[in-house]
Amino acid sequence: MFRSLRKPETQSVSININGQTVQVAEGSSLWAAMALHGETQTRLASVSGQQRSAYCAMGVCFECLVEINGVPNQQACMTTVEEGMHVSSQHLTEQSIAALHQKESADHE
Amino acid sequence: MSDIFDIAIIGAGPGGMSAALEAAQQGASVAVLDRKATPGGQIYRDVTQSPLLDPSVLGREYTEGAELVRAFLEADIDRHQNADVWHIGENGEVLYSQDNQTRRLVARELIISPGAMERPFPIEGWHLPGVMTAGSAQVMLKSDGMVKDGAIFAGTGPLLYLIVAQYLRLGVTVNAVVDTTPAGGVGRAMQHLGGALRKPAYLIKGLKLLNEIRRAGVPVFRHASNLSILGESKAVGLQFQQDGRTHSINAGHIFLHQGVIPNLNMTRALGMEHHWAEQQLCWTPVLDDWGQSSIPHIAVVGDAAGIQGAEAARHAGRLAALKAMNKLGKLNDADLQQESSANLKAIKSFKAFRSFLDAYYPPTPEHRIPVATNTLVCRCEEQTMGQLRAGFEQGAKDPNALKALTRCGMGPCQGRQCGHTVSELLADWQNKPVSDIGYYRLRSPQRLLSVEELSQFQNIKPVQKPAEVSA
Amino acid sequence: MNFDAIIIGGGIHGSATAYYLAKAGLKTLVLEKDYVGRHASGVNAGGVRLLGRDFAEVPLSKEAMSRWQTLDDELDGDTGFRRRSLINIAIDDADMSKIQTRINSLAGLGYNHEVQIDQQELRERLPHVAHNCVGGVVSEQDGYAIPYKATTAFRRAAERLGATFHEGETLANLRQIGDTWQVRTDKATYDAGTVINCSGAWADKTAMMMGDNTPLSHSAPMLMITARMPHFAGPVVGAISRQLSFKQFENGTVLIGGGAKGFADRDSNHTTLDYKKLALAAETTKTFFPIMKTAVINRMWAGLEAYMPDNLPVIGAGVNARNAYHAFGFSAHGFQLGPVVGDVLTQLITTGKTNFDLNPFRIDRFERKVL
Ligand SMILES: Cc1cc2nc3c(=O)[nH]c(=O)nc-3n(C[C@H](O)[C@H](O)[C@H](O)COP(=O)(O)OP(=O)(O)OC[C@H]3O[C@@H](n4cnc5c(N)ncnc54)[C@H](O)[C@@H]3O)c2cc1C
Ligand SMILES: Cc1cc2nc3c(=O)[nH]c(=O)nc-3n(C[C@H](O)[C@H](O)[C@H](O)COP(=O)(O)OP(=O)(O)OC[C@H]3O[C@@H](n4cnc5c(N)ncnc54)[C@H](O)[C@@H]3O)c2cc1C
Ligand code: FES
Repeated sequence: MFRSLRKPETQSVSININGQTVQVAEGSSLWAAMALHGETQTRLASVSGQQRSAYCAMGVCFECLVEINGVPNQQACMTTVEEGMHVSSQHLTEQSIAALHQKESADHE
Repeated sequence: MSDIFDIAIIGAGPGGMSAALEAAQQGASVAVLDRKATPGGQIYRDVTQSPLLDPSVLGREYTEGAELVRAFLEADIDRHQNADVWHIGENGEVLYSQDNQTRRLVARELIISPGAMERPFPIEGWHLPGVMTAGSAQVMLKSDGMVKDGAIFAGTGPLLYLIVAQYLRLGVTVNAVVDTTPAGGVGRAMQHLGGALRKPAYLIKGLKLLNEIRRAGVPVFRHASNLSILGESKAVGLQFQQDGRTHSINAGHIFLHQGVIPNLNMTRALGMEHHWAEQQLCWTPVLDDWGQSSIPHIAVVGDAAGIQGAEAARHAGRLAALKAMNKLGKLNDADLQQESSANLKAIKSFKAFRSFLDAYYPPTPEHRIPVATNTLVCRCEEQTMGQLRAGFEQGAKDPNALKALTRCGMGPCQGRQCGHTVSELLADWQNKPVSDIGYYRLRSPQRLLSVEELSQFQNIKPVQKPAEVSA
Repeated sequence: MNFDAIIIGGGIHGSATAYYLAKAGLKTLVLEKDYVGRHASGVNAGGVRLLGRDFAEVPLSKEAMSRWQTLDDELDGDTGFRRRSLINIAIDDADMSKIQTRINSLAGLGYNHEVQIDQQELRERLPHVAHNCVGGVVSEQDGYAIPYKATTAFRRAAERLGATFHEGETLANLRQIGDTWQVRTDKATYDAGTVINCSGAWADKTAMMMGDNTPLSHSAPMLMITARMPHFAGPVVGAISRQLSFKQFENGTVLIGGGAKGFADRDSNHTTLDYKKLALAAETTKTFFPIMKTAVINRMWAGLEAYMPDNLPVIGAGVNARNAYHAFGFSAHGFQLGPVVGDVLTQLITTGKTNFDLNPFRIDRFERKVL
C-alpha cells in the first residue's frame, strides 16, 4: 500500500471512487487519493484489456486515464480532487467497444 | 484588462520564473502560464506549501527554491496557475485551458520553459501495474506526501539516488537499488573532467548520496544490465544481470529511472527545428546562446532546451528575458551584451559539467533500444518491438510512416513514451544516424482536449485576472 | 535505366497504377519525392463513399466500390476496409426533398444505390442522433478503410509483381525525344516509354513538364480524432445541408472531418491548422450527436490535397505529348477511387481504350473557359 506522510491538520473533501465514498485530503491529486485507498487500477489497456496503473504521475504517460463525472479519458494525476467528484476506473477496451457494436448490429437484423 | 503582453512565459519552473522576474524588473508586461496549482516546476514542486511536516529532509537544493518562488510571487507579474497551454500559434497566440474553458492571450515575445520528462525505459514488463518512474516517487512525495515502502529503485543518474536518499531520511523502506551505471564511469567521463572540476561540489554530491544509501543498509547492485520486470498482470519482481550472473528480486513495486529528456511536444508542435543531441541521446530544439529558436519571437529555456538542470535553467531564463527586452527595443545591444556576460559564462560551465554527468551516467543501449520482440514500445496502442519490426519490413522506414501503419505513437500520450525509442530503433535497423530518421510530426493540441471545451471556441475568453497564490 | 512506364507520385493512385501496370507486364518505376503515402493518400479520412457522388463520377465510383469489398484478397494485404453504410442526415423537409429529387435523377440514369430513410429508420440505424433529425439517405456498400494501410497494400502488391518504388527522389525534368521520355530526377536519369502524372497537390507542375496546362489549386483539409469512446455509431455519418462528417472506427476512436480547410504551403510540405473551423466542426458533431459531449480530441492534422475548379479529377491521356497520362485533382474524394483509376489508365496505355466515359475528366476541359 501507498501511505501518506501528510501533515495531520489538512482539511478533507469527500469523493466517490468506484462506488465507494471516501474522505481525501483537500488539494491532493486524484491519483494520490485513489492510491491511498488501494484503488491503484486506473484503466484497462485498450487493446489487450490488461490492467494498468499510473506510471509517471506528472502528466506525460496517460496511463492514469479514468472516468470523472461520466467523462472518460481524464488524467487522474493531473486532476485535483473536488468535493463530490465521482470517479471510476476506465474500462474502455477494443473488446468492449466491439461487443457494443456487435450488439447494435444484431439488434438491427 | 488587456490580453496582450510584452512577454508571455510558459512554465513556472526555475527557467520560467527567472525569465519572468528579469522581464518584470526590466519593466515589461509579463504573463506566466503554468498548468500546476502552484509555481515551482519539477524541482521546487510545492516548496512553499509542502504537505510534509519537515520539508528540509528533501534537501537544501529543494528548500532553497522557496526563495525564488517567493520572489516570483511578489513581483509584478500576471501569474496564471492551473493554466494548461494546448496551443501556441506562430503568430504569438497562446490558447490554454483553465477551469474547463479555453482562454487566449497574445504576446509580442514568448519564452517557453515546459521542462523535462523522464526518459522512457522500454524493457520487458515496464507497462505492468507496480512499475513507475523514480520521478513519480518524487512527485508523489513533494505534492501529496505519499510514499511506497519496500520498492526497488532501478536505473541510473543522480535523481535516482536523490529520491532513494529522501525516502530513507523519511523512514521509508527501500528493498534494493539496482544501478545500471556501467563500470568505468570515470574513464568514460575523463574527457569532460575539466568541466566537472570547475564544479567539484557536484561531482561529490552523487557519490555522497550513494554512500548515504549504502550506510542505511540498502543492498546496492552495481553495474547491473539487461533489466526486465517479472510478472504477468502486475509486477512481482525485477530480473537483471550482474557479473555474468542472473539475479531476481521479488518486489511489488519498482521505480525506474535513466535520466531526463526535454519535454518535446510543445516545441515540436510549433514546428521548431530540432537536432539529435548525440551526447544526451535526445531530440533538442536548435537554439542560440540566448535560447532563441528557429521561430523569430519564441525562445526556449530550461530543460526543454536540452538537459542542463535547475541552476542553468535560471541563467537561461534570465538570458532569454534580456534578449526579449532587446528585441522589444527596451534594452540596447551594448547593455544586452554587458548584462548577459555573467550568465553566458555560467551556462558554459554548467554545460561542461553536464557533459561529464551524461558520460558518467549513460542510459545503456539495451534499456533504450529494446532487443526482446515482446517488449512494449508504445504503451498506449500496445505495439511491441516485434510488431514495429514487422511494420518496418513492410516499408515503413520513417517514424510517421510507422505510426500510420502500426498506430505506434497515435495514442493519448502522443508519442511521449515511444518517440525516442522509435527514432533509435529505425536508425538502428537502417544503420543510419538518428538525425537522419527524424521524429513524429506533432500538432496542437498538446494534450487531450474535450470536444465540449474545443467547441466553445466561438466565444473564446480572454485571459482572466489571475487568482492570488500565496506563498 | 529503362522502364516501360514511370509514374510520378507515390500516393494511392501512383501505387495502384503501378500495381495494374505491373500486372499487365510493364516494367514500372514509381518516383516519390517523400515517402509513399506521405501526403493525402496516407492521412485522409479513409471515407470509401459512393453516396452523393457527382453523376459524372458515379460509374467509376460504383466500380471502385465493388472492388473495395474484396480488395484485401485481390492485393493479399490489409487495407482496413470495413463496409459500414454511409448515411447523410436530413434535418428538415427541404433536406428530404433534396434527397428525393436526387434519387429520382439517379433512377433516370439507371442507378438505385441511394435509398431514402425516414426518421424511425434513421433512429434505428443511429440511436444517438439528435431528435430533430427527420430522416436521411443511405448507401449500403459504403464504409471506410485505413488510408496508409490501403496505399501500402497497393504498393506491396505492385512490388511483388516487379514494380520498383524510389522514395526520396524528386522529378526535376521531363523531355520527350522521339518515342522515349527522358526522366531526370534529383538523383538520376531514366528512359521510359510512358510517363504518368499522379503527383497530387503538385500535379500541375508535373503536367507542365508534359506540356499540359491545368488550373489546379491546392488546399489543406483538416481532420481531428478522439480518444476511444464507447461504441455509438456503426454507419459513417454525413449531413445533407451541414458540414457534418464523422465515423467511429471499430477501435472506438471517432474521426471528425467536415471539409474545413487549413492553410497549405506545398513547397515546404507544411500545413497550418485553423482552430476556429475545427471548433465549429466539434460543435456541429456535438449538436447532431449529444453523446459527443463526452469525447476528448486526441489529435488534429491536415493533408495537402489537389482541387479542380469543378471538383472533378483529371483522368486520361495528355493532349500535348504522346504517351503521357494524368490522374490527379481528386478534390478531396479521390481515396475511394483508388482501386479503379490505375486500372483505367492501364487499359488506356496497353489497349488505347476503356469502357468508361472519361470526357468529363479531360485535362483540356477548361481550355476555353474563363476561370
Ligand atoms: C519528475 C521530475 C523530478 C525532478 N526532480 C528534480 C530534483 O529533485 N532536483 C533536480 O535538480 N532536478 C530535478 N528534475 C530535473 C528538472 O527538470 C530541473 O531540475 C528543473 O526543474 C528544470 O526547470 P525548468 O524550468 O526547465 O522546468 P520545470 O521545473 O519542469 O518547469 C516546467 C513547468 O512548466 C509547466 N508546464 C509544462 N507544460 C505546460 C503546458 N503545456 N502548459 C502550462 N504549463 C506547462 C510544468 O507544470 C512545470 O511547472 C526533475 C525532473 C523531473 C521530470
Ligand atoms: C484530410 C483529407 C481527407 C480526405 N478524406 C477523404 C475521404 O474520406 N475519402 C476520399 O475518397 N478521399 C479523401 N481525401 C482525398 C484523397 O486523400 C485524395 O484525393 C487522394 O489520396 C489523392 O491521391 P493521389 O495519389 O492523387 O495524391 P497524393 O496522395 O497526394 O500523392 C501524390 C504524391 O506525389 C508526390 N509528388 C508530387 N510531385 C512529385 C515530384 N515532382 N516528384 C516525385 N514525387 C512527387 C507527392 O509527394 C505525393 O506523395 C481526403 C484528403 C485529405 C487531405
Ligand atoms: S500517471 Fe502518467 S499521465 Fe498520469
